[in-house]
Amino acid sequence: MKMPVTLNINNTTWNLDIDANATLLEVLRSNVLNQQSVHRSCEEGECGACTVLMDGQPVNSCLVMAASAQGSTIITSEGLMRGKELHPLMKAFVDELGLQCGFCTPGMVMSAYALINQWEDEELSDMDIRKAIEGNLCRCTGYVNIVNSIRRAKQAKDAGNWW
Amino acid sequence: MENRETRLISGKGQYADDLDFPGMAHLVFVGSPHGHAVIKRLEVDKALKVPGVLTVITGEDMVKYTNPLPVQANFKSKGWTWKLANVYAMPRDKVRWYGEPVAAVVAEDEKTARKAADLVEVEYEPLAVAGNALEALEADAPRLYDDWEDNKQVHLKFDFGEPDAAFEEADQVMHIKTREGRVTGLPIEGRGCVAHYNLKRDSLEMWGSFQTPYLSRHNIAATLGMPEVKVKINAVDIGGAFGLKIHAWKENVVALASKLTGRHVKWFEPQKDFIVTGPHQRDVFWEGDVAYKNDGTLLGVKATVTHDLGVESTNKGIAALSIFPACSAVPNMYHWKGMHIEGVGAVTNKSFYCAYRGYGKDKGIKFIEHALNQIARKLGMTPEAIRLKNYIQPDEFPYHQINSYVYDSGDYPGTLKKALEMADVDGVRAKKEQYLKEGKYIGIGVISAIEPAGVAVPNCQMGGITQARVQITADGTIEVHSDRTEIGQGSEASHAIIVSNILGCNREDVLVKPVTSDYIGQGPLSSRGAVYPASAVAKAAKIIKKKVCQCAAAFLKAEEESLVLEGGMIYSSNNPDEKLTYKQLAEKAYFFPGPRGLPAEILKNHDHLLDVTTTWYSPTTPESGSSYTSFCTSADVAVVEVDIDTGATKIIKYAHVHDAGTIIDKQIVDGQIHGGIVQGIGEALYERLDYNDKGQLMTSSFSTYLIPTAVEAPDIEVAHLETPSPFTETGSKGMGEAPIIGSKAVILAAIEDALTPFNIEVNESPATPERVRSWIVAARKKQEESK
Repeated sequence: MKMPVTLNINNTTWNLDIDANATLLEVLRSNVLNQQSVHRSCEEGECGACTVLMDGQPVNSCLVMAASAQGSTIITSEGLMRGKELHPLMKAFVDELGLQCGFCTPGMVMSAYALINQWEDEELSDMDIRKAIEGNLCRCTGYVNIVNSIRRAKQAKDAGNWW
Repeated sequence: MENRETRLISGKGQYADDLDFPGMAHLVFVGSPHGHAVIKRLEVDKALKVPGVLTVITGEDMVKYTNPLPVQANFKSKGWTWKLANVYAMPRDKVRWYGEPVAAVVAEDEKTARKAADLVEVEYEPLAVAGNALEALEADAPRLYDDWEDNKQVHLKFDFGEPDAAFEEADQVMHIKTREGRVTGLPIEGRGCVAHYNLKRDSLEMWGSFQTPYLSRHNIAATLGMPEVKVKINAVDIGGAFGLKIHAWKENVVALASKLTGRHVKWFEPQKDFIVTGPHQRDVFWEGDVAYKNDGTLLGVKATVTHDLGVESTNKGIAALSIFPACSAVPNMYHWKGMHIEGVGAVTNKSFYCAYRGYGKDKGIKFIEHALNQIARKLGMTPEAIRLKNYIQPDEFPYHQINSYVYDSGDYPGTLKKALEMADVDGVRAKKEQYLKEGKYIGIGVISAIEPAGVAVPNCQMGGITQARVQITADGTIEVHSDRTEIGQGSEASHAIIVSNILGCNREDVLVKPVTSDYIGQGPLSSRGAVYPASAVAKAAKIIKKKVCQCAAAFLKAEEESLVLEGGMIYSSNNPDEKLTYKQLAEKAYFFPGPRGLPAEILKNHDHLLDVTTTWYSPTTPESGSSYTSFCTSADVAVVEVDIDTGATKIIKYAHVHDAGTIIDKQIVDGQIHGGIVQGIGEALYERLDYNDKGQLMTSSFSTYLIPTAVEAPDIEVAHLETPSPFTETGSKGMGEAPIIGSKAVILAAIEDALTPFNIEVNESPATPERVRSWIVAARKKQEESK
């Protein structure tokens, strides 16, 4: 069964005709939206590879029915770019080698983005960072350089280099 | 050129699931719900009637259209057992493990294929299962293969040095038993590929998560009965591999599906299927004796390691072969008089064995490191004292170990001492009694390891020979080809660094090409990357440098010896003002090399073609039989706290000292170390593939098969020593496995030390909280009873 849904994805509004039982992950990865940074892995909300921001909060897009996202604002990691320019958070991941195979990375970036965006305090401890990305599994990096990347990104934000 | 990391983080990764071709069909497998059963009846009619279904492939079709899976390792030899099984990519008569695919549905889209897969009707007659290696070896165990007299697939026997003399000389002998659970490497991305069979040309091309395209080409061509030259395999971006994407067998069904339908066919494996039907590792039982003197001098070992291989594993993967390094790694980095080691592999009703980071080297080293800790404890020595007493010394290299390995270089005492310092072992030890008074159970683990890296073994697909090509194109950019697939371990960056360092060119002008089956080599397995492919690439770059210099000398009218290559420029030190860029050089060499531009000798020798394909082979393997060329070294020290009420282990400090020879890129090497350590921690504390008595896997998702999250992973302090390898082109050693070898052992050693008041030998992994609690409860009961 098809049904209409309106989503704002990375600042573009889409009026879509979707399968009623499609997940947000499936719709984002579909040929229409082609958000290939949103990766499919466990499809049961355990690995975090498909994390996107839904109205500012990180969600596992595999667990969200696209129909229930009606009217939401979705940001994927592609949406953090400014044209070809990397977001300072992404730049921090590249500089600190916070990625190896890169498969968990876009989801990891979205959780980290939500953390730093919403963090009001000056201090951001490593454990704060670790807890914020607990739902994003990485098998390559041992998380060390990911934590370093996120700490560096926080410094970038503190220095006014953020969007 | 944009680097790989920037491309990936911009969302421009091209992983298997991102592959898309016009008119592409999708394949979904139907798996067995039984661990062992006869297939009585298989009906596909209902599935075929679903609109959008193109075909359903069954075991019957495999027999009709394909050959059995080819053997990847054959070590039939006198005195050894090495059985082979004749199996197809899908079975016709009998399933032997939970999840084993019995049919593949091909449909216009994935959802339709899934729906139709549910309509494939299979009637099974369940059989008793061979549940673990020890049970499977019993006389009345259910047999997996009717033409075998028992379930023992492999039995190897090795005599290293003089084992009997070692035991005659001994003051004491200690009996050691250890048990290591079954695990899987579990990258976050499962496997996936697209196959396209070109019906006009009778050729096949595949794209996907192939860790070793050259080997996969051979296996897929053999299965489909095609000449290898008509098959091309392309690796795309791979979401982690760790050895688990070496094998190809489900991929062979995808290839057949494309041949039968004439369509591009895609298969992307759900993560659950990857755990259930993917490669497994470890699952060994060690038992044996270690001979030593009263002063702690090590003499010999007599031991047997029994492997639970799961179903036959010489056709789907190469991991029955990992019994060799499990046996051969036991001597580790110490002086010995002799050893007798036997390696047994039993088939059971579990998913198959294939490679995973460590590949058996970890098993031998973990066993002997555990034994050393027990001996030290008995002799009242510290774990570091017994190691320092027995190490091969820095002035003994190259060192011919009793097992025929030729150790290239190292400073074993220096590596350990540095790690002890970093973790402040003396300081922590001094406070241990105080901690105990406060009710805190703090333990220190100390482990040191070699990492045999860069394998070459005859009689199997890991023969060693490796090809690389470096070409300076007509516009001055440089392309590099090798077998070293990028699986996240920094192949592309490493090769770009090696080539740009040798040619003095800009790193941005070097493009390391995605790996295809066009170049010979086994890819990045056995930490070969910095040994074979890196050496082959360095060798090609050195040859091309000579050509560059010959051409440049002619163009600049300078002596070859005076040429300087740096910053993307070539000039003579006698005339630094006249410079050639690589673009200028290449343009002249390719398009204007005419008789007046270059000397006739250069033209006659084709030295103006700035293109070199070469091969590299180990300088030690042919003479010594040393199957590994380089031996990276590491020392791990961990400090843990065990909560004796919950059994939970917390890592307080982790120090790792690493010697991988000449470091190509420190950031990449550090990343490999961090990742390996945390995988080892997962093995030591959480990860377990548990089958029930019906042979069904109970831990088949991230919620039951627990890998460390960012919260469990510790801060890791890393330091490096650099003793260059004399045997590789760059001085680098293969690395990436030492961290998992050391970490899984060191955590268990630290737990054992923390539990000293209970006198518990921690010889079983994983040390999950419930298991640690059960040890403590049992120890207390024993203590009560002895009162």
